Amino acid sequence: MRLRRLPVRPAVPLLAILTLAQVASGQETEEALTAFRSGRYEDAISLFSRAVRRAPSSAEAARGLVAALREVGRYEDARRAAERYMERNPSSKELANSLGEVLYLLGDRPGAEASFTRAAGDASDSVLARFNLAALSYDRGDLESARGAFDHFIDFYNRNENLTATELRVVAGAVRYLSQTDWGLAQDALRAYDEAIEADPGDLEPRIGVGQLFLERFAFDLAQESFEEVLEISPGHPRALLGLARTFKYAGLPGAFDYAQRSLEANPNLVGARAFYAELLLEGESFDKALEELEEALAVNPASLKALSVLAAAQFLLGEEADFRATTQRVLEINPRYSQLYNTLAEASVRNRLYAQAVEFAERAVELDPTSWRGLTLLGINQMRTGEMQAGRASLEMAFEGNPYDPWTKNTLDLLDTLMQYPVTNTARFELAIDESQSELLALYVGDLAEEAYDSLSRKYQYQAATPVRVEVFPNHEDFSVRTVGLTGLGALGVSFGSVVAMDSPSARDAGEFNWGSTLWHELAHTFHLGLSNHRVPRWFTEGLAVFEERKARPGWGDDVSPGFLAAFLNHRLMPVSELNDGFMRPAYPEQIGYSYYQASLVCELIERDHGFQALVDMLREYGAGKSTPDVFESVLGTDIDRFDTVFDDYMDLKFAAPLAALESTHAPDGVPHRSREEIAEQARDNPEDFVAQLAMGTVLLEQGRSEEAVAYFERAKTLFPEYAGDDSPYWYLANIYREQGDLQQAALQLEQLTAINERHYVARIELADLRERLNDPSAAAVALEQALYIYPFDMELHMRLADLYAGMREWEAAIRERKAVLALDPVDRAEAQYQLAKAYFDSGDIDNARSVLLRALENAPNFQKAQELLLEIHGRGSQRMQEG
Amino acid sequence: MRVRSSLVFALTVAAPAMTAQTHVVVVSGLGGDAAHRERFHAWAVAMIDAAQQRFGVPSDNITYLAERTELDPQRISAKSTKENVERTLVDLSTGLQAGEGVFILLIGHGSYQGDESRFNLPGPDMTSNDFARLLDRFAAQDVVLVNTTSASGDFIKELSGPRRTIITATKSPFERNETVFCQYFVEAFARDVADVDKDERVSVLEAFNYATHEVRRAYEDDDRLLTEHAQLDDNGDGEGTGDPDPATTDGAVAHTFVIEGTVAVVAGTSSDSVLAGLKSRQRELQQAISELRIRKDTMEPEAYESQLEQLLLELARVSQAIREREGGA
Repeated sequence: MRLRRLPVRPAVPLLAILTLAQVASGQETEEALTAFRSGRYEDAISLFSRAVRRAPSSAEAARGLVAALREVGRYEDARRAAERYMERNPSSKELANSLGEVLYLLGDRPGAEASFTRAAGDASDSVLARFNLAALSYDRGDLESARGAFDHFIDFYNRNENLTATELRVVAGAVRYLSQTDWGLAQDALRAYDEAIEADPGDLEPRIGVGQLFLERFAFDLAQESFEEVLEISPGHPRALLGLARTFKYAGLPGAFDYAQRSLEANPNLVGARAFYAELLLEGESFDKALEELEEALAVNPASLKALSVLAAAQFLLGEEADFRATTQRVLEINPRYSQLYNTLAEASVRNRLYAQAVEFAERAVELDPTSWRGLTLLGINQMRTGEMQAGRASLEMAFEGNPYDPWTKNTLDLLDTLMQYPVTNTARFELAIDESQSELLALYVGDLAEEAYDSLSRKYQYQAATPVRVEVFPNHEDFSVRTVGLTGLGALGVSFGSVVAMDSPSARDAGEFNWGSTLWHELAHTFHLGLSNHRVPRWFTEGLAVFEERKARPGWGDDVSPGFLAAFLNHRLMPVSELNDGFMRPAYPEQIGYSYYQASLVCELIERDHGFQALVDMLREYGAGKSTPDVFESVLGTDIDRFDTVFDDYMDLKFAAPLAALESTHAPDGVPHRSREEIAEQARDNPEDFVAQLAMGTVLLEQGRSEEAVAYFERAKTLFPEYAGDDSPYWYLANIYREQGDLQQAALQLEQLTAINERHYVARIELADLRERLNDPSAAAVALEQALYIYPFDMELHMRLADLYAGMREWEAAIRERKAVLALDPVDRAEAQYQLAKAYFDSGDIDNARSVLLRALENAPNFQKAQELLLEIHGRGSQRMQEG
Repeated sequence: MRVRSSLVFALTVAAPAMTAQTHVVVVSGLGGDAAHRERFHAWAVAMIDAAQQRFGVPSDNITYLAERTELDPQRISAKSTKENVERTLVDLSTGLQAGEGVFILLIGHGSYQGDESRFNLPGPDMTSNDFARLLDRFAAQDVVLVNTTSASGDFIKELSGPRRTIITATKSPFERNETVFCQYFVEAFARDVADVDKDERVSVLEAFNYATHEVRRAYEDDDRLLTEHAQLDDNGDGEGTGDPDPATTDGAVAHTFVIEGTVAVVAGTSSDSVLAGLKSRQRELQQAISELRIRKDTMEPEAYESQLEQLLLELARVSQAIREREGGA
């Protein structure tokens, strides 16, 4: 049944259920209401209290008082106010619903039900009470009965004209409940809310309802707009602030924490906000803080399903199995069909990288409530994360059928349409799923590198990660982002779900933005860390260890030190090791995540230095046993983590003693001020130990064309901070100057030093290869080009050059790989590329493959003279062998 | 121009006793500014030089009309006005033998006004209908017309016909951004980059495929959306394609059209009977390979490979013998 259009009762300037003329303390109540609606809650409480004192039988004043006390979290006071009214007016049922609402917030469900039942008969707000009864049924899992009751509100709407704003809001709320399973009703709910707003523009409740409706429909922009509208009228509205916090979280925008905190400042007993805040803390792996929040929430409302669900998630993540079982049992006692419990557990598992457990929880959610579309979406996405592609698709299809508005479901299904078409290349331990347009090329490199990483990591960690590991490479970043989080906009380059690794293809970014080789190695390191720790390794440790492994894999791979990082250290803007997880989960400034990666890798370096690599492996195992970071530090490293903070600072001081000293004068938190050329010159002259001054002076001279004079400054800067190899490092400038001066050897040396640190500098590697070729060092040239492939492998000329170099060095296997790469890039002159590949096979002694490829070349170009000659030579050799045989 | 035997797609090979020459007409339209004038001129010169120096087309068979004759008085015959373009093509049509080839390259800017694609010239523009009337004069010749301008897509619909290969730089008249197709199309003839079947000639189809491939790559390299989709029509149906396949859509005629200036003596007319025999066998083998390829999908892979290898091996030996006989390698 749908809503039909009805006339709306004209607006009244009061709480929808109040009639000003009937209130004895009318003036005060009106003023109180104005204060309440504009968010001046203390004024409202004071004015309502005075009105109640003046007219103890005024239900409107008493309701207003209860509402105002409730909004700021003074639930006990609100309860007392309602009870006081009822004591004074024992025959009146007018405050029964208000009392029920407060009792519900305090977790007294039987009391709430009794009150709602009392009001549902003939109180002036009986419609609201009947709605609350239905909502209570819904909340205890009696879904059919609740839906039947909600359905009556549609009849109520259709049969009555001139409904009040409150009645319209109630109808809207009921239809909103029904729209959970019948999504088309969302429009009707919105219409009823709009009519409620039209009936009483000052009432904020329907506006809050509109925001929540939009949020449930994933219309984040509109939800934000609705909540912001409320906040324009009532700047500290706790539930509007909570609505915004939730909107920002689900939209992937920063700010959820801030809004949740502001909501709690406005109403410290808003259990939904506190549970939400605890959920955010859990996502940030701040388990202890989350538990504190939940304790507070449950002290207010011990029956809060939301808070109990988040508590269960925290207990699960902490490995507190008995408590976890007790909490889940408690939830299911209250509501045996509360699928959101398992959805919450599944989501918490995902945020803590427990994908297999997320699948199990989502399955439980769907078992409890087959119409839990969120559960089906979580199930599908996590089945895909654990490599169950077909099952994942089936779950998502069901979720989409039930709720076509969920962007996670739709995006992932859209992605699956293409992902399932990716050709799969199998190696010994990997399945490589790469977009068809790039599969032939990338599989040449991805497979070998992945196998090498597996060998290396399994040897180091004495652990065999489960195989096959599926590696998915996405040609554009949006697809990778959807694969990872269901939405676009993810900043990461790769992700490891354990047995599934997904990452950007080098085509997803501009050349030089990232090194896909080190990214793959990094993600595969995570696969080992996740496996060894039963997926319980904290974010900071697995990231640090993965960067640490990058650095071990190839010279130059992995994050490097920068002036910004050291300045952050000097300014105490790096997180202490004991709180390093927050640097990843809740960065305080934009660069902090990047700095935290590098810092975490240094922590791993330090642990290896002082305790050996085995300690890092042992730490993973201890995390796997459910230990917290402080406990792991105690048990494996024998140190208190807070004391380790000091050890780490000492390590930094020692490791970067020279550059820290060279940055001392320019590490002002506000950055380096803009200076004139004269000032820069003066600074450089007066501060020969200042890295920034020396580098700046070199740059100024270079800009003036005085490159010879610039050399001394760049050399000086390099000496002061040799670890810095960024794009604007002295190495780069010096290489250019030396090359222009004709000193190719020195130029090559600078570029070699740069590329030994900087993993992303594509042009430096190409130029280094040029120089090394000119210096008659093909082997070094090949090394540089080989490194460049891990940054950008789509340049055909690079592969041709590399093939020639390898052929010249008689490294046939590599030459063949490069000739295959040229073919994979779909050259116009395919016959020539096939001939070159055949020639490489022939030169390597692989006559069968040479002949096979050559036939393909001649099939395309039968008159191709070089290919004909090679064919004759192959057959000539064959004949010779037969004669010799 | 010589109609080359199709190595791949034709079931029978035409074996004319003597090949005909190509007549090349290059028209560079209104540049709009000095940079464009110079760019268009550079492309025109590259095409003319390739025709002359790489394919032996005599200068008498080449006409170059441009916006400003003073840019290169030696090469440019006249200003590229509508009147001069019409006169050039009318004059050319009166002196041609049946079976000769005409290669017309239009370089410059195009536009779409009043439901007609236009080639922008100094003075009045020329529409596709103007060219349609002129091409009708070449009923007995093989004609290639390449309009490399923006908004050129409509030319195919108007000019399509028997013995004609019509190429446009854009798919429709609504692709109005400046095009780069000409650069790569000319490059295909001017450099050793497009002869994918290694017969030492560049067919119009090879040039088209090379140009479309490189245009796509250029746009990708610049991280731009492709705003020009070149089309080719040579089956007379008025529908172009960006991915010609001589076996199913367009390309069979373009595959056989090569720019050629020298009068080549072919097998059967040589005074060297051994050489003539070798060339005759070479053509037979080429034909046999073509036919085998057509049957590929119906054969067992091993049988196909074996027969292909035998034929290619013999072809290689015969070709080697021809080169030796001719004093080559």
